Amino acid sequence: MRFVRFSAILICTGLLFGCGTKGDDTKKSELALIKTTNPSPSVLDHRTEKNVDMAEGIKEEIQNYKEIYDAAIIKGDKDILVAYKVKHMYRFQMKKIEKDLKKKLEKKYPDEKFTISSDYKIFLEAVRLQEKMKNPDFSRKEANKKLQDIIKLQQEMT
Amino acid sequence: MSSKQKKKTPEQQKYDILQKKHETKRPVLKNCLRAFLVGGIICTIGQAITYFYIYFFNFTEQTAGNPTVATMVFLAMLLTGFGVYDHIGQYGGAGSAVPVTGFSNAVVSAAIEHRTEGLVLGVGGNIFKLAGSVIVFGVFAAFVVALIKTILINWGVL
Repeated sequence: MRFVRFSAILICTGLLFGCGTKGDDTKKSELALIKTTNPSPSVLDHRTEKNVDMAEGIKEEIQNYKEIYDAAIIKGDKDILVAYKVKHMYRFQMKKIEKDLKKKLEKKYPDEKFTISSDYKIFLEAVRLQEKMKNPDFSRKEANKKLQDIIKLQQEMT
Repeated sequence: MSSKQKKKTPEQQKYDILQKKHETKRPVLKNCLRAFLVGGIICTIGQAITYFYIYFFNFTEQTAGNPTVATMVFLAMLLTGFGVYDHIGQYGGAGSAVPVTGFSNAVVSAAIEHRTEGLVLGVGGNIFKLAGSVIVFGVFAAFVVALIKTILINWGVL
């Protein structure tokens, strides 16, 4: 009897969760926490060739790291947000990887201000922002504001 | 141990041998497995709650720990009140006592037990009867670690 009740609860939960997902138009961000999304880098302001190349360059630099497996890069007006996921076995060295990456990027692009994070939330928000930017109604100003919000969130400690 | 053994009379030693023969052996391996399973399940639930807070609220990986702990403590409090956690504790042993839910169980069960003695001298006086030592040694250990860290920072090691 107990088993039947337990399985009934399980099935109901499964059905509820199952109905919650949308059919074909599942967004990348919905599974960004559990799946590799590998979003292409995006530039918020002045989509000049130089800026796009820089974003691509950062992506390439990150791909050289064997410890990192997923990265979202957003180049804003003044800041560049780099959010990435660290492979499970290397999560003990997360601080070292962050320090190393920041040093490398700042050396390569000395005029830019980098915000680097391996936090899942920052990655998720970066992917969500990139998705929002595909919408033509979403203005540059709003995008920049959202980017600043993410950077602020990254600096929160408690 | 050997000196104690020497002090025992021959009758006592004989009794010891007899006692050892009839003593039921502790199923250490089985207990370890159960503790591993139960502790693992509790931690998986905690991880799911962390992801829930990251996904649906404005918490980063770093800050999601606080509401997660609060939720786990709250859930364990309800389970203790309904008498479910006793069964989990009996089955899981250390697996249910080591996570924060075990701490919650220790506080709430003491409060329930001494409720009949009144609110001030009963609940107030006994609520930390079991969990008090955890707080004392936790605070002391934190103090020692902080002291060591401060010294190391001053010496320039960290």
